[in-house]
Amino acid sequence: MVTLDLRPVFLVIGLLLAMVAVAMLVPAAVDFAADNPDWLVFAASAGTTFFFGAAIVLASRSGRVRPSLRQVYLMTTGGWVAVAAAAALPFAFSGLDMGATDALFESVSGITTTGATNIANLERAPPGILVWRALLQWLGGIGVIVMAMVVLPVLRIGGMQIFRIEGAGPAEKVMPRAARMTSAVALLYLLLTAGLGVALWLTGLTGFDAALHAMTTIATGGFSTLEASVSAFANPAAETVILVGMVLGGMPFVLLLYALRGHLAWAARDTQLRWYLGLLALASAMMGLWMWTGLDIPFVDALRRGAFVAVSTMTGTGFAIADYAEWRGLPIAAMFFLMLVGGCAGSTTAGVKVFRVHILLASARVQVARLLGAHAVLIPYYNRKPIPDTVADTVMGFLFVFALTFAVLAMGLGMTGFDFRTAITAAAAAIANAGPGLGDAVGPFANYVGIPDAAKWLLMAGMLLGRLEMFLVLVLFLPTFWRS
Amino acid sequence: MLDLRPVLFIVGWLLLALAAAMLPPAAVDFYDGNRDWLAFMAAATVTGFSGLGMALASRPGGTLRLTAREAFLVTVSIWVLGVTFGTLPFIFSGLGISFTDAFFESMSGLTTTGATVLSGLEDLPRGLLLWRQLSHWMGGIGIIVMATALFPLLRIGGMQLFRLESSEKSEKMMPRVSQVAAAIVSIYVAFTAVCAVLLWLAGLTVFDAVSHAFSTVATGGFANYDASIGQFGPAVQWIVTAFMLLGGGTFILYATLLRRNRGALFRDSQMRWYVGFVAFFAGLLALWLWVVHDWPANEAVRHGLFNVVSIVTTTGFASDDYAAWGGFAQTVFFILLFIGGCTGSTAGGIKIFRYQVLFAMAGMHLRRLLHPNGVFIIDFNRQRISDAVVRSVLGFMVLYFFSFVVVSLALTLVGLNVVDSLSAAAASLGNVGPGLGSVGPAGSYAELPAAAKWLLSAAMLLGRLELMTVLALLMPAFWRG
Repeated sequence: MVTLDLRPVFLVIGLLLAMVAVAMLVPAAVDFAADNPDWLVFAASAGTTFFFGAAIVLASRSGRVRPSLRQVYLMTTGGWVAVAAAAALPFAFSGLDMGATDALFESVSGITTTGATNIANLERAPPGILVWRALLQWLGGIGVIVMAMVVLPVLRIGGMQIFRIEGAGPAEKVMPRAARMTSAVALLYLLLTAGLGVALWLTGLTGFDAALHAMTTIATGGFSTLEASVSAFANPAAETVILVGMVLGGMPFVLLLYALRGHLAWAARDTQLRWYLGLLALASAMMGLWMWTGLDIPFVDALRRGAFVAVSTMTGTGFAIADYAEWRGLPIAAMFFLMLVGGCAGSTTAGVKVFRVHILLASARVQVARLLGAHAVLIPYYNRKPIPDTVADTVMGFLFVFALTFAVLAMGLGMTGFDFRTAITAAAAAIANAGPGLGDAVGPFANYVGIPDAAKWLLMAGMLLGRLEMFLVLVLFLPTFWRS
Repeated sequence: MLDLRPVLFIVGWLLLALAAAMLPPAAVDFYDGNRDWLAFMAAATVTGFSGLGMALASRPGGTLRLTAREAFLVTVSIWVLGVTFGTLPFIFSGLGISFTDAFFESMSGLTTTGATVLSGLEDLPRGLLLWRQLSHWMGGIGIIVMATALFPLLRIGGMQLFRLESSEKSEKMMPRVSQVAAAIVSIYVAFTAVCAVLLWLAGLTVFDAVSHAFSTVATGGFANYDASIGQFGPAVQWIVTAFMLLGGGTFILYATLLRRNRGALFRDSQMRWYVGFVAFFAGLLALWLWVVHDWPANEAVRHGLFNVVSIVTTTGFASDDYAAWGGFAQTVFFILLFIGGCTGSTAGGIKIFRYQVLFAMAGMHLRRLLHPNGVFIIDFNRQRISDAVVRSVLGFMVLYFFSFVVVSLALTLVGLNVVDSLSAAAASLGNVGPGLGSVGPAGSYAELPAAAKWLLSAAMLLGRLELMTVLALLMPAFWRG
């Protein structure tokens, strides 16, 4: 193997930084229009980021080369980390007076679409900052969709090889098709956001709130412009729109695209989609019934709010309409597990993902059946196709590493002084990119302001690991990765 | 067709053994002048006659042969019927507990879980205390023999890795199995005897020494005092730590110490991982207690080691209320509930070797990301593991976590809070005993609703029989044809 050529890696990172710089001009414009002095911060950050990005691009230009496997790993992880670091600049230099740790936490939480915030008083935050948070999640959302479409299947991360755009075929042909699909999906993402924004505006939100919530909803991020999150609107129609948006955000976008192009029946037969919707329906019904019987909320209202809580948790969005830190028992346990499951692969959600849960259960069932008839041919199926053995293995490897990361993170958080409940739920919320945990200190209406810096760093690591499906990061720690 | 006669025959004989085990508690109560000796005699009579009836009525004609399906059925019925008849002394005694409580206590005893619904243990008649400990002891030897001789043949969750070498040929199988079983039983009895003598030398009464030796070697966790082993001094705690650790190791390997290949025990990779794992977490907790909680170093080491060993070997003794050691310790103890000891031991849980396989597999996946066309092999004990074993381990892990999720959700449904339900589900499925919160080392299962007790009893059985044994019975294909 030749020595690792870092030029293509830096080229991609530089380009990403330049894009972040351009994105920073939006909040700069908003703050300028609102006559807030923070517009200078955004403009300066944009300038700095663009300068660095352009310098890196110019310094590492090379001929058109196909990046090697190792370069792709470095690009992906390096790209997310570099973008998060650059995006922290406006937080650090704005009037909010955040420290470096806090600024980075907010930025990582944004770009990974987690939605855990450590800004204490959102109502007093300048509009530019609010726009920047929403925009970060929105960019993070499309980033992860593209990554799940283009990068992960080729790298075969945790069984994602079953989502290759082209089953098998010459590499030359894959690229144009993938590029076309990617731009179509990006367009769909944009249109869905616009649609949600308009719908929210029609329900009575201000244009500003509607646009920002549309962005964080489709990205299943969960940043809000208000301290009390979505519950502050007290607007059932808006809640329903957001509910639909979150459900859409947790679906595989490629499938949505096919459905729109007239392959509706084909898309509806997709195993992952069916399991996702089925699980959501089950969880919503359970939550609704619990709210109806346990909290004495009127039946229809309870169903709607139950669905909202279930969807917001499972898709890892983290919008709050009820302070479930007060709840005990069934709903909390259900939310804890739903959070870990997450949405579909190829969506903006994180977590284990529905298709992995299905593959695991199908394989386990076959194992039990095999105990009885040793000679019977029993094969697990996914989407009416037999699951290749290597896929089942990699999925299991993924789940094990996921559980291990969760355990280490929870223990680490315990060391920083979290109690048991807070430690395990905060760890789950970070890895699954959900946002609020279920303990009192990190619950839906609390925020991460008061927690120790060490815990913030641990949670940031958890968010990035979860977003990058563990293995993308872990592979960099293999000694053989750096050896030539 | 499923032939029930061999099943009933074997179960009948084991019920006779159970009836015989009810006699020592009867003798103790008789000696103490406690009327409960009558309860034990009555229970022994009922159990004995039921067993005798089953064994005589279904004596098979030729040699005893079991098909796989019959073996599954035998395994599950032994435990279910054993537990059911084991409730009789509790019901007939003057204790006055409900059938639910009696069943829970009996299940917790035979599965060597050690979760109890009884409190004020100091005041209970000694016969009942001895019965609880004896049920641990019998359950312990039962599971070692099954896990060594039977589960590998049934290919439960990757256990085919531990097939005894010559067991492939069916003619040779039976003598080999009985040899192995005899070796295991003598080691088990020897450990118990040594443990009892050491405990007696450390100052316990004969009764306490013997009964705690039972529950220690069986990694059960029932104690004769509400304060568990915290009742006794440091010397006793060290002895109990050592024997719990031995109880969580692979028993068949101890037999090699007496033979020529003496190194086998120390070369076994599962034993090495097991000891290393325990040492790591004990060290971590000892440091935590010493540095953060300002305990004296020797106490930190003793309590750290004792409680980590107790949870990893799925015993469930406590030397201190470790739930009060802060959030870090609670999180560690919760995660340790999922580990379990070595295979072929009295410990429950997922077992170390499955984690070894998983680690190897995750590592292979990671390396394959970098070298997509590389060929990687998973080793265990310097032997290549077949794909079938790996799949089987995976299936087991998935079922384990799935059962955990289902049981804990069901527990919250009957009214437990999150910490209680998560930890109680994990502690029962892993046959550990104490969880966190109100079912923690200082708490008790007495106050739980009856539905929760039944759920937890089911979880104990599932965990003890390595899930797949029970789940196989639930497959429609099992009962067809």
